[in-house]
Amino acid sequence: MGLTFETIDGKSRGFRILTATLTAVSMAGLISFVISYIKGHYLLGTSNILPWGMPIIVTIYLIGLSAGSLILSSLTYVFRKEAYRPISRMAVFLAIVLIFGAMVGIALDLGRPEKSWRLFMFFVLNNMQSMFAINGILYGGYFLIGLVYLGFIFGEKSKWTKVMGIIAIGWAALVHMGTGAIFGFIATRPIFFSPIKPFEFLAAAMVSGLALLMIAVVAIFKFTKRDLDKDIIFSLSRLLLVLITVLAMMVLVDKLTHLYSPDREPMVWLLTGPYSWVFWGLQVGCAYILPIILLSHPRYRKTIKGVMAAAFLVVIGIFGERFALVIPGTAYPLPFYPGKIEGIWGAAGSFPLTPVELLMSIGIFALMGLFFILGLKNLELLPADEKKEQMTTSAAAT
Amino acid sequence: MPRWGMVIDLDKCVGCQACSTACKAENNVPHGSPDDQRLRRDIYWNKVIAVTNGKYPRVMTELIPMPCMHCDHAPCVTVCPAKATYRREDGIIVQDFRRCIGCKYCIVACPYGARSFNSKEQEEKKYHRPDLPPGRNVWGQWPFPTRTHGVVEKCTFCFHRIDQGIKEGKKIGKEVVPACVEDCPAEARKFGDLDDTHSEVSRLLSSRGWIRLREELDTKCKVYYLPR
Repeated sequence: MGLTFETIDGKSRGFRILTATLTAVSMAGLISFVISYIKGHYLLGTSNILPWGMPIIVTIYLIGLSAGSLILSSLTYVFRKEAYRPISRMAVFLAIVLIFGAMVGIALDLGRPEKSWRLFMFFVLNNMQSMFAINGILYGGYFLIGLVYLGFIFGEKSKWTKVMGIIAIGWAALVHMGTGAIFGFIATRPIFFSPIKPFEFLAAAMVSGLALLMIAVVAIFKFTKRDLDKDIIFSLSRLLLVLITVLAMMVLVDKLTHLYSPDREPMVWLLTGPYSWVFWGLQVGCAYILPIILLSHPRYRKTIKGVMAAAFLVVIGIFGERFALVIPGTAYPLPFYPGKIEGIWGAAGSFPLTPVELLMSIGIFALMGLFFILGLKNLELLPADEKKEQMTTSAAAT
Repeated sequence: MPRWGMVIDLDKCVGCQACSTACKAENNVPHGSPDDQRLRRDIYWNKVIAVTNGKYPRVMTELIPMPCMHCDHAPCVTVCPAKATYRREDGIIVQDFRRCIGCKYCIVACPYGARSFNSKEQEEKKYHRPDLPPGRNVWGQWPFPTRTHGVVEKCTFCFHRIDQGIKEGKKIGKEVVPACVEDCPAEARKFGDLDDTHSEVSRLLSSRGWIRLREELDTKCKVYYLPR
């Protein structure tokens, strides 16, 4: 295999400006986190009826992206699809950065983040019946497995990489199914409660991870002025189309089941209530319908622009899917007693997006962006620029 | 071992909310501003909900006092990752503020909305307990000497009273009862041992038809309602 990998220079003006901006935004996020930690969570949009807000949405979104990205890297290292080799290192690195961001997101959501070590005292201080504690094992293990996997890839140990790759795929699937189980096993919340949730989350993870990876690959190859084999993107886009269809089917089955008794009312509320624009506009429109049209359109599916537009829509739409799960799922009032509950106890919760929460969420993304570009600078993630090499060798020859 | 439970007679309840007030006074639960109330950040260990059934002119509004139901199959205990919420041997579900990491999973899982998140630094942090002075030297389940923000709170069936009463050899359910039971002017609430066939709660449950809220979730809660 003649493929070599290299780092980017990181000395251009654009790179420096990008680093400085990302650092500044991450610092803003950190400062707003410290404020919310000292003052309390009343600065966030969450309340007693709507306990989970933006950090949790961002977290499950990032876990999805990460698991999807890692599963796709296995195409090269496990299934020996050589065409994807140029982007596989980046996929693994992206997965590690994203799971790191997800862990930061969980820590931001905790009321007492200094006690988060308790989540990792497995079987000692933990209640192992809790999906949260089980997911602690899954996330921690995932982070370690990702690091070891990346290590083997850098060491060019192809046999060990394959073994690690198989473990990593299984684990990544478990991670995301576990995340789905956090929601799917809660019988109290009808919009969450569904045995298909883990699988739905897995499909959503694959879809969003693949779309993000495609965007990252095209953007980086463009910015660093490398030649991209367009067939890679087009074959990935066909895979994306299949996965979106699978995801849309699962969501359809899930929502359809809930349209029957006894959970009909919450589901009708989700489909027609105040958050229906998120569901129909972002989740169904951006994540399913528009990308499916774009990716099966005879002309647009053969252009990089068309495929990229579809990938962007998917990445935004899956965020909408997370939002349309977490916020309406908890906002729907609990039926304590048959009849119409008067006053605040029977009113649906509202979720005001506060500046502190918004800054915290953007800060997570900026922090991950910072880590990602620093990784590009310091680790050999990108395939070497063949044109430049030829030029230097020919220059050396003459 | 007793299994503490409560019986609330909806026929006697007048909806005066004395139970909510008594609870706030006994456990020093923060009162909360109108803004907190509007944004649903007020902390309630005991709440009274109004439920309307029927159409004019045949309308009936019932007032349902709702403490924590102290379920035998408590969803909050199942989901708590840090063992901060657990079931005591006498069936009371308690929340240990020292262990709580504030993940709010229990609020999501509770079918009765019995849990509140303490979302800001309260002015009055101390628990005023004339009957049981809190101190740091007590390294048991309780008392957590000061209230911190970032943890989840809930009703405790006033177990400090029960524990103290047992130590002093008093009769629980007659001489010693939770604050909400003590302060109920209509005597709609009764507290006692559900396993003891001679207790007043058992007598009430065998004398009349009773309901429990949200039976379909199989929480086996220990707060029984006598419908009117």
